[in-house]
Amino acid sequence: MAPAATPSSGTAILVADNITVRFETPEGAILAVDDVSFGVRPGEFLSVIGPSGCGKSTLFNVIGGLLSTHQGVVSVAGETITGPHKSIGMVFQEESTFPWRTVTDNVAFPLELIGMPKAKRVERARHFIGMVGLDGFENRFPGELSGGMRQRVSLARTLASEPKILLMDEPFAALDEQTRLLLGDKVLQIQQQLKQTTLLITHNITEAVQMSDRILVMTYRPGKVKRIVDIDLPRPRTSEIVSSESFGRYVAQIWSDLREEASRGMRADEKHALNEGAAS
Amino acid sequence: MADTGRLKQVAVPALGVSPVTLLRIAIILGVLAVWEFLAHSGWLYRDVVPSLLAIGRDLLELLTSGNYYFNLGVTAGEVGTALLIGGSSGIAVGILLGANRFMSKAFESYLYYLGPTPKIIFFPIMIMYFGIGPESKVALGTLSCFFPVALSVAAGMRQIDKVLIRVGKSFRAGTWQMVVKIYLPAMRHPIINGIRLGLGVALIGTLLAETKLSNKGIGFLIINAYSTFDMPRMYAMLIVLFVLAIGANALVGRFGGLHSIKRN
Repeated sequence: MAPAATPSSGTAILVADNITVRFETPEGAILAVDDVSFGVRPGEFLSVIGPSGCGKSTLFNVIGGLLSTHQGVVSVAGETITGPHKSIGMVFQEESTFPWRTVTDNVAFPLELIGMPKAKRVERARHFIGMVGLDGFENRFPGELSGGMRQRVSLARTLASEPKILLMDEPFAALDEQTRLLLGDKVLQIQQQLKQTTLLITHNITEAVQMSDRILVMTYRPGKVKRIVDIDLPRPRTSEIVSSESFGRYVAQIWSDLREEASRGMRADEKHALNEGAAS
Repeated sequence: MADTGRLKQVAVPALGVSPVTLLRIAIILGVLAVWEFLAHSGWLYRDVVPSLLAIGRDLLELLTSGNYYFNLGVTAGEVGTALLIGGSSGIAVGILLGANRFMSKAFESYLYYLGPTPKIIFFPIMIMYFGIGPESKVALGTLSCFFPVALSVAAGMRQIDKVLIRVGKSFRAGTWQMVVKIYLPAMRHPIINGIRLGLGVALIGTLLAETKLSNKGIGFLIINAYSTFDMPRMYAMLIVLFVLAIGANALVGRFGGLHSIKRN
């Protein structure tokens, strides 16, 4: 049932092949990610969902090229990555705007790195600022914006580098529910407009079903692929889709997969806490 | 760095002067009155506390004398050079120590021990190396300035938000780009703070060295006035120096406060 849905690498632009990651901790080695394989097709929106502690963020770092202690191979269009790849643009979970740069200068950052002339990069930056709906805030500093707006600045900054693959790690995790829904709409709209290949790491089922073409469900530690679910909902989508009947079915199906893993994780945490308590 | 100051508005009276400012002015006037009283009391040796009038006269004379400005220029040049050499090497070493755990473990404790050592004890060595001219003062000022800048930058480097470094790496910034576009701007507050401390100790080191052994500079003039018992002149020079030190400090502070962080 599990890895059967792995697509052939011929059609996929991003391929993760037998990724395994071990961490050395004072309590011994932890197998964080265990033999995970999947592919993302061009234009596809794929979500990786799993409970806390399933190695999602580790996977994000491996694919982003920020962690190189893994076994297995990540390749983009057939090319094995050995570090941050120019075709992959990352959006981080944490607050990551540069507080000393204006919104425009934040968004223009990747263009500045490749030496694009100032007038041109400001123009490009304006384009992406408009796309995330921040017109009029070009000359503000991040400190003057709300958390949701700052996260949109981060998104615009990554989009400005025009990555072939957008890689996001719970970009809305720190935001309140309403902002999260509205921002999800925005991402969906942009993704559909740009036909942007996207890989989203999340623990939010609604968010995953609302946006994805496919959802990869991971198990609790060690993180393995438990199931890959095709989301056969019509496009273009908006957040209104959450009220449809088929949406509810997908959510229920994924939740039944996830509940097992999440409760396993919870039990493991409780056991850990008990042991800690006994040891002290 | 939240701008809570906006909420606390002190009531401003009709004259446009707040009670705090009034009190400050009163303190200064009080000190001056006591000073003048002591000067005329005859309780102290003549000219230990000279009258304000005498100081004012010498101050005026000082500010219109070319010789004074020449010596001021010498000292300013010494302090500026010391700040430039000590500051930039301090920033470079600070970045190295902040970025590399091994280097930091190996060397940082030496900096902590050497940092508070009064650098004036190295002055005889500096004279042997560089002579009694401005060079030995620059050397001492540089040595004084280096430590607070290096320590402050190293600490600032370790406090950089790690995600900003990951952002830079994810956009494939090169080492130089990381330093110029992420590390340095992210550390601008500790750097400015370090330079401010560095400026203070460079000033102290340079002036102290000038008063010990030299043939030009403000420190030389001050000690010269002292050894010829020209107290009003000495006080006049101290006042100018005091004002200059405040001005330099304010300038560095203003420079660092250009874009304040308003996060949170």
